[in-house]
Order: sequence, then structure tokens, then C-alpha cells
Amino acid sequence: MALATDIWQYRGLIGNLAQRELKARYKRSLLGWAWSLINPAMTLLTYALVFGTFLKVQPPVAGNGHLKNFALYLFAGLVVWNFWLAVINGAMSGLIGAGPMLRKVYFPAECPVIASGLVALTQTLVETAVLLTIMAAFGNVSWTFLFVPVLLALLILFSVGVALVLSLVNVYYRDVQYLVAVGLNVLFYCTPIVYTLDLVENNAPAPVSLFVRANPLTQFVTAMRNSVYDLKAPSAARLGFLFVVSVASALCGWVIFRRFSARVSEEL
Amino acid sequence: MTTLGEDAPKLAADATNAEPVIVVDDVSKRFRLYRERASSLKETITARFGRRASFEDFWALRDVSMSITKGCTYGLIGHNGSGKSTLLRLMAGIHPPTSGTVRTEGRISALLELGAGFHPELSGRENIYLNGSILGLTRREINAVLGEIIEFSGLEDFVDSPVKHYSSGMYVRLGFAIAVHVNPDILMIDEVIAVGDEEFQRRCFDHLYQLRREGVTIVMVSHSAPLMEQMCDEVSWLDHGRLQMTGAASDVVRAYLDHVNAAQNERLAESSDDSGKVPVDSSRRWGSREIEVLGFELRDANGDVLAAARAGDALTIRIRYHAKNPVAQPVFGLGFTTESGVRVAGPNTRFAGVETGLVHGEGHVDYVTDRLALMPGTWHLSVAIVDETMLHTYDHLDQLYQFHVQPGSSPERFGIVDLNGRWHVST
Repeated sequence: MALATDIWQYRGLIGNLAQRELKARYKRSLLGWAWSLINPAMTLLTYALVFGTFLKVQPPVAGNGHLKNFALYLFAGLVVWNFWLAVINGAMSGLIGAGPMLRKVYFPAECPVIASGLVALTQTLVETAVLLTIMAAFGNVSWTFLFVPVLLALLILFSVGVALVLSLVNVYYRDVQYLVAVGLNVLFYCTPIVYTLDLVENNAPAPVSLFVRANPLTQFVTAMRNSVYDLKAPSAARLGFLFVVSVASALCGWVIFRRFSARVSEEL
Repeated sequence: MTTLGEDAPKLAADATNAEPVIVVDDVSKRFRLYRERASSLKETITARFGRRASFEDFWALRDVSMSITKGCTYGLIGHNGSGKSTLLRLMAGIHPPTSGTVRTEGRISALLELGAGFHPELSGRENIYLNGSILGLTRREINAVLGEIIEFSGLEDFVDSPVKHYSSGMYVRLGFAIAVHVNPDILMIDEVIAVGDEEFQRRCFDHLYQLRREGVTIVMVSHSAPLMEQMCDEVSWLDHGRLQMTGAASDVVRAYLDHVNAAQNERLAESSDDSGKVPVDSSRRWGSREIEVLGFELRDANGDVLAAARAGDALTIRIRYHAKNPVAQPVFGLGFTTESGVRVAGPNTRFAGVETGLVHGEGHVDYVTDRLALMPGTWHLSVAIVDETMLHTYDHLDQLYQFHVQPGSSPERFGIVDLNGRWHVST
């Protein structure tokens, strides 16, 4: 596609938009970059306390045979969720925020959306590094860590594809951001992050269980946990499903975006 | 700003590069103007998700076609809302046309608005990188011109402070510096240069001339006729979204000015039925009134009454008066004052050595010039009738009248008067 080269030509802009976002984010704040770690750490702590300690969700035993820690089990899932959340929210505000520029200069409107993907990725890379380091510190290491970059790559395709569509629709109907906020909240609890997939499969009625399992994020979270917590390779079926879903999401998202983004500079 | 010899490379560029780099083919552009009327949440929801909010179609451009050749400096002229800025945006690829096609070749650098794409929190230097990449440059390419950009903008001392502390002049300087240094094939400029100070504007124009010599295609939008005529090879005139005329800059600008003048005359004729009449008594009118000024008229060489004078054209100013009793040798005088209060000329019959004889009843005196020396603008006119000795005032109206001078046959553009001199160049 000719447009792929078009976007490649603007890679400098995508990088700069991402950089601008990152630089502006913690400017004039006292703790600066520390916030990017404090924030997820506090979330993790809260969930660990509520679901691990108060509600006593039982994590499985980790791959090394003796580690059984709900916080780490949770962390592996949260890394996936945080990325997804950051891409969706970042893309919607990023495209709206790029409005003043898009009205005055031509560049592909995908750029700010992809840039917000990059911004989210930097955060996620830091979180992943912390996650893997802690796992290693607990002696829970294996070659299955090598699946992490593959999963992240697929997660990028999946999230950006969805983000392209949502951010575009949000330009035409600003209500979408509120709708999405509600939807994401529901989706969070429909994804086995603060609980285990077994809990759903054993306790929930079949349709609900099916819904939770068909949720691509469930598969991402599970595959991630397989790789870093259980230390076993994600099943071929699971990887195949993720591959198909991610590529389909990216392609559909992009085609839809191309089709409807021409007038975006007028609506912003 | 223009120097002799600018025309030579301009013509050369025309002759060697004939292929079009911008082709606008039968383009129309419709904007939807939404009317927000939603007053309740329910209304909002039905308006958003049912049929969309009520809107009005507005055609900013209708059936516009033009072709801009490589190396040409092209102007788009027209009044506010004529669609010229919209057309520029379509050419820059910012908006898609509703129908028709816009085809461009080469890298476009567009300077459409102040500080487009500047992030207030980032420093000038960081914004140069950001802006450069918006225009499609890689980091290496930006590094190559970074020094030039900073130097041209004259912001060496501020380039590392956030641009939110910049003045609007600094914004435009940085924006312009970036736009012209990214090595564009096509440069598009909306009316933004006007923001900088005189010295910077001059540098901008110098740089534009240089780019033009280098064969860069320049498209600019303005409603300033002199600027268009001075800078452009070809000009298109747009009126209410339709192309009125395309051609050599001087022809189109002339036609445009004629149109503007005609429109102004119409307006003046409507509003100024009373302009030549005697104003009511005011503190700016005094005298014993043995002779009274009744009014004044502007007439052209054929004796037809004019609504506005034209610079460089023949003009007759007629003062109508009424003398109740016979008065011997009154002196008639006129005063021309600019809007800012500069008295530019004050001719009278006595200095001119004109005998007025015995004046009684109604009559008029004419002040005739073959070539009006006043430059375009609004002028205040004073009319006075005094006695032979010029010590006693019969009637004096101090700047109580005003009239408009429009661009006419005078070639001058600067200042407030045309000195009507000639140039002789000896080689």
C-alpha cells in the first residue's frame, strides 16, 4: 500500500510527537519520571491488598515450583492492561490534541495515534523490565521470557487497531470518550486480571465464561502469565488466536481510519 | 523592497520550467456549519445519535480550476471570505475537496497560521524538530538546517526557553524561519508575515525572492493588492468561492482593484447623499457668514460627479457657495489633511493669483488638478472663504468634510503624496 510508505516517511513526526508527549508529561512536576513508576506501583499495591489479602484470591503456584505470590501474578496481567488502557486513552486525546496542527499542516492523521502507542510502549517497557527483574529475583526465570516481546508486538497491533477506530469516531462524536471510559471499566472486570481464569471457568455460567475467554485481552493476559509466571510456553492455539486477532484488528482499524479520516481536519 | 533586476530571473524561470506542479481541477468545497441548539441532555443525545445536529451547507469554493507551473510565484487575491485561504488549505492537502481533484508534486511547506504545531511547553529548539518533522523531514535533515533556522529567526538567546514565553512576533519569526528552511519544492504562505516587525518582514521578502530565484514554487494569499503585484508572476482572483480571473499579476490586480473601487463607490453613493452638504454648526465651523459654503463636489475630467477620487487621475473639487450680499474679492481656500491630522496642502485663490471679482448669490469655484497627488486613503477636507486681506473669515469649515482617494493611475505605493517626479538613469 502506498500509504504505508507515506506513514514511514512521517516516522520522524511520530517519534517527535511521542517525545513531545513524554517530555511535556512530567515537566514542572517535582518527582518527574518517578511518577511513571509510582502510579502503577500504587495500583498494584491497592489491588493486591483488596483482592489478594481481603478477598483471598488464590494464585496458582509459579513455574519454579514454590513461588506463590498474588501481587506478582497480578502484575503480569496489569502490564498488559495498562498498555491497552494507555493506548486507547492516549490515542483519543492525542488525536483531539493534534487538532490545531491538523487544521494547519498536512500530515497523516494516524501519526498522533501511533505516537500515543509509542508513548504507552515506553511506559510498558519500563514496567516489563521491572516485572522480569522481580521474577528473576524470586528465582522464577525461564526461556519462556522470550515470548514477552512477541506478545507485546501483537498487543501493539491489537491495541493500535482498536485505538484508530475509537479515536476517529471520537472526533465525530465526542460522547465516545465517555462511553469508552465506561466500557473500559466493565472490560477490566471481564478480564481475569484481579482474579484467575479458573475462577470464571469453574463458577460462572457457560455464556459468561465463553465471553471472558473470547475476550482477546483475556488471552493476552493469560499468555503473558504463561510466559513470565507459569514459565510455560503459551499454547499454539492461543498464540494463533492472538496473531489472527491482532493482525485483523490492525488491518481493519487502519482501513476504517483511512476510509473516514479525510474530513477529520474539519471536524476537529 | 523590490530591486531592479528582479524581473530577469523571474522571466527565465517561466521560460525553462513549464510543467505544472499544482493542478486544481474543477474543485468545489463544501463546509458544514453546525448550529448548536441542543439545550437538554435528551436533545443532545437525539441530535448526536439520531440525525446529526442541524447544519447549513456553505460552499467555500465552486468549480475552481487552475494550474501553477514550477518556479512560479502565484498569488490568490480576494476579499475576506472569498475562499482563497480554503483553496490554499486544499492545495496543502489539509482538507479534501468535496468534488474535483487537487494534484501536487514535491514537498510542500505551508505557513498557514501563527505557530502551527508549536507546543507551548517545549523549547524553541525542540519545536524546530517537531515542526520540521511535521513538514516531513528526518532528524538528520533538520540538524543540517538547524543553525540557519536559529540564525534567521534571530532567536539565539531564546531558543532554549519554552515557546509559551515568546511574543507573537517571535512565534512568526520562528515559524517562518522553519517553513522556508526545510527545502520545500512548494512554499505556501497565508497572510502571516504581516505580524513581524518591519525589519523581519524585509528579510522575509528578501528570502522569498531568493527562493524564487532558486526555482521554488511559491503560492501566497493576501488581500493586499500592492504586495501581490510586487511579488507574484501570476494571480488568481477569487470572489465568493468562484474564480473571477487568472492571469498576469498586474492585470488581475488592476481588475480586482477596479472591482473593489466600484463596490466602494456604490457604498459611498448610498451612504453619502449628504456628504457634500453643509454640516450643521459645530465648533469646527466659524465665520461671519456674509458668504456661506453650501457644499463641495468631486468631479472627473468630463465633469461627472464622483463618489471617490482616484490617485493620479484628473480631479475637480467644486466649492458651492451663497453670498447674501455682494462681496468683493473673497479668497477661497482648501485644506487637505490626513486621517492622522497631517496638513498636506492648503491651496487658495489668493496665493494662486486668481481674481474672484464681485461675488453675489449662489455660485461655485473649482479647484482643478490634472493629476491628483494625494495617495489612496481617507482625506479630510477643510473649506474656507475669507476676505481679500485674509484677516476676516466669512466661513471656515475645519476638516468637516471627508472624501476617499482610491488607487488610480498613480504608480506610487508608499507615503501620502505622489510627488509626480521623473527618474533619469544615466549609464
